Amino acid sequence: MAIGAGLCLLLSVLAVPACRRSDDGKVRITIWHQDRIEIRMMLQRQLDRFMQLHPEVKVEQLFKETEELRSGFIIAALAGQGPEIVYGPSDQVGPFEMMNIILPLEDLFQKDWLAGYDPRAVTWYKGHLYQVADKLGNHLTLVYNKKLVPVPPQTDEELIAVGKQLTADTNGDGKIDRYGLTWNYTEPFFFIPFMTGFGGWIMDDQGRPTLDSRGTIGGLEFIKRIRDVEKIIPNEADYNIADILFKDGNAGMIINGDWSWAGYLKAGLDIGVAPLPKITSTGLWCGTMVSPKGFSINVNVTETKKRWVLELIRFLMSEGSQLEATKELFTMPTCLAVQHGDFVRDNEILRNSQIQIDHGRPMPVVPELRAIWDAMRPSYQSVLAGTMTAEQAAREMQALALRRIKEMNE
Amino acid sequence: MNTNTLRHRLYVFVLVVPAFIVLFGVVIYPFFYNVVISLSNMNLRHIRDWRIVGLDQYVKVFTEPSQPDFYAVFLKTVIWTVVNLLFHVVIGVFLALVLNQKEIRGKAIFRAILILPWAVPQLIVALTWRGMFNYEYGAINLILTQWFGLPAVQWLKQPLEAFIAVIIANVWLGFPFMMVIALGALQSIPQELYEAADIDGASWYHKLKNITIPLIRPVMVPAITLGTIWTFNNLNIVWLVSNAGEPSDQTHLLVSFVYKAAFNFYRYGYGAALSIVIFFILLAFSLVFMRSSKATENVYS
Repeated sequence: MAIGAGLCLLLSVLAVPACRRSDDGKVRITIWHQDRIEIRMMLQRQLDRFMQLHPEVKVEQLFKETEELRSGFIIAALAGQGPEIVYGPSDQVGPFEMMNIILPLEDLFQKDWLAGYDPRAVTWYKGHLYQVADKLGNHLTLVYNKKLVPVPPQTDEELIAVGKQLTADTNGDGKIDRYGLTWNYTEPFFFIPFMTGFGGWIMDDQGRPTLDSRGTIGGLEFIKRIRDVEKIIPNEADYNIADILFKDGNAGMIINGDWSWAGYLKAGLDIGVAPLPKITSTGLWCGTMVSPKGFSINVNVTETKKRWVLELIRFLMSEGSQLEATKELFTMPTCLAVQHGDFVRDNEILRNSQIQIDHGRPMPVVPELRAIWDAMRPSYQSVLAGTMTAEQAAREMQALALRRIKEMNE
Repeated sequence: MNTNTLRHRLYVFVLVVPAFIVLFGVVIYPFFYNVVISLSNMNLRHIRDWRIVGLDQYVKVFTEPSQPDFYAVFLKTVIWTVVNLLFHVVIGVFLALVLNQKEIRGKAIFRAILILPWAVPQLIVALTWRGMFNYEYGAINLILTQWFGLPAVQWLKQPLEAFIAVIIANVWLGFPFMMVIALGALQSIPQELYEAADIDGASWYHKLKNITIPLIRPVMVPAITLGTIWTFNNLNIVWLVSNAGEPSDQTHLLVSFVYKAAFNFYRYGYGAALSIVIFFILLAFSLVFMRSSKATENVYS
């Protein structure tokens, strides 16, 4: 009831504009994003520079958790309010477009300007451009501790072999103290590389789920095998546990996203980033979902303010801003000049990141993706808990995904 | 009506209006708007062009096949609420009785320590407990295996164990509230009553049964009612400790159903209908409980 009342309250009485001309006469622009602290600090430096260049504009960034950002923006924008710019991965474009709360951008940015960016960084949906991204990826890779893993594995068999070498009871108490590999294997997002490695994918071109497949079954069985038979991964690991194990040197390798690398380097770890291995039996690389992270504009933005919003996006997307972010965060830039520039070319982490991106597939932007994640989670966890076979899980995922999509679209 | 009466009424009106406006804005209007949404087809595809569809969403709440089943979740929510409240009240009142003893020294320190779970943000509590329930590295299993020689428990992987785990976390979080309330009530009991009972030779048990419990009841009953509503609707602990329903959506409560429907699947009409159902369940419970416990009667009369 509290949630219902809160929802209604926000839908109905959200009357505090997040953006308006401020008391000091400056044009005020707000950006909502979900980025971690290092990115926030860097973004603030860039915003400060923008405000120095344009003293008549005041820009504020506001961090929100993923779900809070999504639901908060929907509620605010439907009430005719909200931030001028919403920043995040491209999968939010689908629901936002369906609710008509973000602007089509194809007439706002010149084609020549857009041509300077990786085509995967501009998100088109239903014939309109809804997002321009300054980062490409949000993808998983194999991160390894160079002290423990001098040469990263290239195939699943090598992965198991390296994992077995590393997994050890170092203090002789009968319990394993160091694992070869770890990752957050409670979340289906981290299952996708294994699914693709065995030839599966989550949906077809029409947005229909394709979960009941050999790829799903193969991926599930592989994870079960490396946990229960090869015993190279912990019995149980969510994101935090996996992260701590790797940081403490109690896991030689971790499957984690581009958002994590800067943190590991800052923690003093000598890390390497490698593409996820190839599955020998299929000859396919474990490909991850690749998603641009970028800017969309609130449909409620006023004409007078739109000029400054576009100026700000161009500034944040510029070569200088992207190079700064790339050097500091090791995220893949979308500006072609930076992507093909010296820094990316000479940096081992970014080179391998690029290879992983090339192995990946774009994250679908349709709203049905939510239903698919939700449908995958319970069966995936049941397989790991040993209460369901991989075949049963694939069937259940598919059936539940279809039902969830029907419910969403009724 | 003379001028004084009129002025008095106007004065009362002026005092009441600000509170009423706030109440209207944050409770009354949202509540009725929620009722309207619950009768509509508002969802992702009909967010702007929604229309009233009658009781369709309520029918779906009770009849739509869901995973897990609505009735199973409802039963689980009732068990969750009863077990939590039982432990909250028993532990809370017990600790309050201990702290109310004259012989105890350093009461303020004990009180501060015991209130600690309540003072820590729920997010921190939930994530800490989640870490403690980890199969290999969690403190709970380390204690069970190394101190007691018991086998490790898969707390977060099996449905029953996961449900017990979230209950343990919430019991730890919830007892300080009942303890504080009970302690306040105990301190307001006139000491003369106990002295008179001592003269009559009453035992500790008889004093508890005939003086303490009846006199703390008017305070505890509203606290229990409030605790029931909070616990029934407690999204944070279940959602965070079980990581959104792990394992396999087996640790959901009704309120997390609402959350998922409204914010994960954009089914606003369905979510609103479910929240109204929860409202009436809690309203019915509160009315019955308050009446059966005679909470509003004056204990001294």
